[in-house]
Amino acid sequence: MKPAPFDYVRAESIPHALEALAGAGADADGDASILAGGQTLMPLLALRMATPSVIIDINRIEALAGVSRVAGHNGSGATRIGATTRQNHVLANELVKAHVPALAKATAFVGHHQTRNRGTLGGSVSLGEPAAEYPAIALTLDAVIEAHSSEGIRRIDALDFYLGAYSTALLPDELVVAVEYPDWPADSVTIVHEVTRRAGDFALVGLICQLAIAEGKVSRAAIGWFGMGATPMRSLAAEKALKGVSLGDIDPRAVAELAISETEPLEDKHATAHYRRSVGTKLFTRLLSAAVAERQKP
Amino acid sequence: MTLHRIEIEVDGDVIAAEVEGRLTLGDFLRDRAGRTGVHLGCEHGVCGACTISFNGDAVRSCLMLAVQADGARIGTIQGLAEADGTLHPVQAAMQAEYGLQCGFCTPGVVMTLASVLEAEKTPSEERLRDVLSGHLCRCTGYQGMLRAAKSLAIQAQTAAGDA
Amino acid sequence: MAQTTAARFVGQRLPRKEDKRLLTGRGSYVADVSLPGMVELAFVRSQVARGKIRGIDIEAARAYPGVRAVLSAKDLDSLGAKCQILHGGMAPAPHVDLLARDNVRYVGEPIVMVIADSRYIAEDAAGLVFVDCTMEDPVITIDDARDGPPVHPDFPTNVADRNAPPENPALEAAFASAAHVVEATIRHQRQAHVPMETRGVVAARQGVDELLVHLACQSPHLSAHLLANTFNLPQANIRVIAKDVGGAFGLKVQPWREELCAVAAALLLNRPVKWIEDRMENLTSAGQAREQEIHCRLALDANARLLAADYDYACNIGAFPQGVDTNFLVEMFLPGPYHLPLYRCRNVNYYSNTVGQAAYRGPWAMESLARETMMELAARQIGITPEELRRRNLITAADQPFSMVTGAVIDRVTPRECFEAILEKVDMATFRVEQAEARKAGRYLGIGFSVYIEPTTMGFGVLSSEFAHIRVDPTGAIIANMGTHSQGHGTATTMAQVIADELGVEYDRVTVHEDDSSRGAFGAGAGGSRQAVAGGGAAIKASALLAAKIKTIAGHMLNANPEMISMQGGRITVEGEPEVSTTLERIAATAYADPDRLPPGMEPGLEAQYRFRSPMFVFSNAAHACICEVDGETGITRVLRWIAAEDCGVMINPSIVEGQIAGGVVQAIGGVLSEEISYDAMGNPTAVTFKDYVIPSAHDVPQIEYIHLVTPSTSDGGFKGVGEGGAIVGPPALVNAVADALAPFGGRCYDLPLTPSRLLAIIDGGEG
Repeated sequence: MKPAPFDYVRAESIPHALEALAGAGADADGDASILAGGQTLMPLLALRMATPSVIIDINRIEALAGVSRVAGHNGSGATRIGATTRQNHVLANELVKAHVPALAKATAFVGHHQTRNRGTLGGSVSLGEPAAEYPAIALTLDAVIEAHSSEGIRRIDALDFYLGAYSTALLPDELVVAVEYPDWPADSVTIVHEVTRRAGDFALVGLICQLAIAEGKVSRAAIGWFGMGATPMRSLAAEKALKGVSLGDIDPRAVAELAISETEPLEDKHATAHYRRSVGTKLFTRLLSAAVAERQKP
Repeated sequence: MTLHRIEIEVDGDVIAAEVEGRLTLGDFLRDRAGRTGVHLGCEHGVCGACTISFNGDAVRSCLMLAVQADGARIGTIQGLAEADGTLHPVQAAMQAEYGLQCGFCTPGVVMTLASVLEAEKTPSEERLRDVLSGHLCRCTGYQGMLRAAKSLAIQAQTAAGDA
Repeated sequence: MAQTTAARFVGQRLPRKEDKRLLTGRGSYVADVSLPGMVELAFVRSQVARGKIRGIDIEAARAYPGVRAVLSAKDLDSLGAKCQILHGGMAPAPHVDLLARDNVRYVGEPIVMVIADSRYIAEDAAGLVFVDCTMEDPVITIDDARDGPPVHPDFPTNVADRNAPPENPALEAAFASAAHVVEATIRHQRQAHVPMETRGVVAARQGVDELLVHLACQSPHLSAHLLANTFNLPQANIRVIAKDVGGAFGLKVQPWREELCAVAAALLLNRPVKWIEDRMENLTSAGQAREQEIHCRLALDANARLLAADYDYACNIGAFPQGVDTNFLVEMFLPGPYHLPLYRCRNVNYYSNTVGQAAYRGPWAMESLARETMMELAARQIGITPEELRRRNLITAADQPFSMVTGAVIDRVTPRECFEAILEKVDMATFRVEQAEARKAGRYLGIGFSVYIEPTTMGFGVLSSEFAHIRVDPTGAIIANMGTHSQGHGTATTMAQVIADELGVEYDRVTVHEDDSSRGAFGAGAGGSRQAVAGGGAAIKASALLAAKIKTIAGHMLNANPEMISMQGGRITVEGEPEVSTTLERIAATAYADPDRLPPGMEPGLEAQYRFRSPMFVFSNAAHACICEVDGETGITRVLRWIAAEDCGVMINPSIVEGQIAGGVVQAIGGVLSEEISYDAMGNPTAVTFKDYVIPSAHDVPQIEYIHLVTPSTSDGGFKGVGEGGAIVGPPALVNAVADALAPFGGRCYDLPLTPSRLLAIIDGGEG
């Protein structure tokens, strides 16, 4: 289990990385891989399941790391997280805790302390592992993925990003530079939970739900899943069904069943599709009931 | 194939080498830096045996390239004890609690605990248990290392209380 | 007579001698060995489970820069190497080529060796080898094997070994008239040993006709012996070194195809060759274990006393197992520590197009899983508690020595006492209240028990004896060369504790060497939970011989009767004359450097050796209780409590004993809940990384509670084996606990592993 040969480029800046990406694309047999945290890419290299001709290491590009507040597209704010921000930095970051609590909660489930010390937010978002937390969080929270190439900058809605199993809208010459998470009202309900056989493993079933509440009614809902299909999944019909409903009128079981019907879980070595549906339904029903009850407390 | 010149501080020694891009940090430390105490148990980032301190953080050395560590400060199990042989508190706790049997996973376990203690000063027992989830052991059933985690947390809190 | 050996170190929780080097990264595992001129090996392995090799194209690999050789089966012919089947030996075994020659019989079978300047380059070039191979429908499962085409063309069927006792009219009559007949089928999935250190070897020719082999193994001596047989070389010319070995659990008992290939390459190429198995190879090509199914029938009378047991057992041993007729211990110990008048066990081993089996911690563990699971099922069916059912059937001290229905005679075991000890600790009445309360709150707690006896030591075949050579060196230090070996067992510690007591010296003064086949003499190392009894026995006997010589010399030097000499802490005194004394250092100096002052006729030096004849079986026993919770929402099982009461006789080091139990118990937890080596219909392995082969982590284990009962064995020192027990008695305790937890749903699952999906199906079914 040793990586196959490749050319290694340490990118010193974003333009340098983009130049290297463009250059690799120009080669006849060229395919380049971006090396961010490496916690997924390195095993693939060792197993020779990935054999890129060029590895472009973006870890030294200072502009790619860090968390900041930016203006969002609808007048509210957004939290911008640089692609190479380490997962443990995301976990500890006060801006993330305050403005993207779902992301903070989800990060505690990502891998282990040791892998979070290297693993990056951008690496996980761009890979799109269907059972991982970050792609599903991005998808659910309508994050915007900012990709740069030598042609310019594209801001891709997460809803348009995850196309199929490990297949994303990212073009071969594009580099994810940052992910922006638009603000939700500070008093939104946030549910993040996952079921694993062993701490740190990929989720058998993972759930994200965020509800904005205004005047006792759901003003906005977002429901997403991981480990529930070939891509991270979103339950748009269930969200729509929740919108405008008074808290007291929410039927958690019905919402959960509708939401689950929008997923496409697969059977693998770790769980059957039936299992994933059954657990997802029960989990969401229970957590939604509890969250609604909590919010209705005088 | 291009070779890359790197300089890495390993346990206080500066080691210069020319390496292929694909050489993993784990292999570099074992084969080029003489740190055979860094054990490779799976080479795909699950077992944790190869864990080292990378600029103070516990990381898997099988999941990094050597070339990425150019300029870094690395700590391995071989640099932890005092020069006179006095064991680091983590090593001492592991011995006192029978935290090891075959010793293969041990270097990673020790480096994780040592780096978390160094960074966080007074981690709780829960915190130390939590970071042990990143290590697989097939011999001990984790009993001794969990006891060691407990005793280290108590020691750290007691020391902080005394200070 | 003077007391020589007051037990001061045996029984104490002394720090392990192995720890300091292992904790500081100064251990020496095979992967750490590097020799001048060394080259590294990677295998080209079969990608089909069953087929014929039509051709192999190695040209591109051979031309790759840095490649030193590319070898296939015919290139090894000149060595005449024979891969030896070690275990059993009564049934005919298939011929095992080191590399596949004409046929491939499992995915992962080694076909070509690529030897290069580094493992990186070897893997590059291995990817350039093209094997042209036909693809036939493989035989993968036990069901496939029953009537599928033979895996080995020279064998008529896939039956490797079968024992089919004739119909027994008395047994059938017992079932026909029994008040209760209980029936179930239990399936145990295939497992991998997964020591954290994989297999590995560094082999090099030395001098003219000698061979040096650094090997991850369970015994340097046994490995040297097997290598000599394999390559038809004089054993005297083979030196095997294994300083530190990172776990083995049976996998490293014998060097197998890959290790032998590396040795072959070193012999052919005349340069040191290294092969370190990577984890994917380990999960797909190293020996595997279990994969058994057993149909069980119990007959009980109206008082819930066992009348008869009838078992029908099958095991899938893969294409090239390390043992062919491995079932006799399952058959012998299925009745367990219970009164059982009538018994039958039919059993069969099948070949298949899967990786061959290697012994894994408690290879016969199916006997406990089947029996103890059935005991609790019977209790539930009859409507009495599992405690009561066991009390009515367990043997007691008064029954011993006890002849099992299989003919084995067990003695000095305490299954009933251990069982009562865990019941006392658990407090069943309180637990049942907690369980009922929890169920009302939608939490499903369960408790399960298991009781067993274990044949340890296994003093037959190559395990028949063990060796110790102990000397006081000229400085007074004690050095023992032994045939024991630690892959985590801590035998350099436990043997030193035994020797220090026998010689009346400090523990720190004793050093045990067990890492080198050129030191000491033949001994089989780890296997069959033998080292406490066999190694301890050899250590005691050799120490006694040495102590006698020391006393004779001391008596001569001090003008005292040797029987009046006392040795304590390295000081040698005369009983009743405290002012008359000498030291071990002075006696050693005399023995080596001033032999004229020795008693007349005594040979110089201060050393002794002894070859200890191991008992066939020394029985240890245990009872375990497990309390678990099955999450009603997710079907995930969490082990909340684990209580182990064992009787392994005199404990040399209780912390090491507990470590052995804990390791076995946690392997049991993994085996019951999550570990599974599986294949798809075409024989492709589907758990090839540690992401998919799920072993327990630190979050999955409770703090194990121990109760030690001590009934000394009759062997020297009173020791019994304890290495495998947790993995034998552990699984049924957890299976039973899960069944108890799921009792409200009316279902049960005896198909291991008890995955969340399987358990949730029961829970969801029960809700309907």
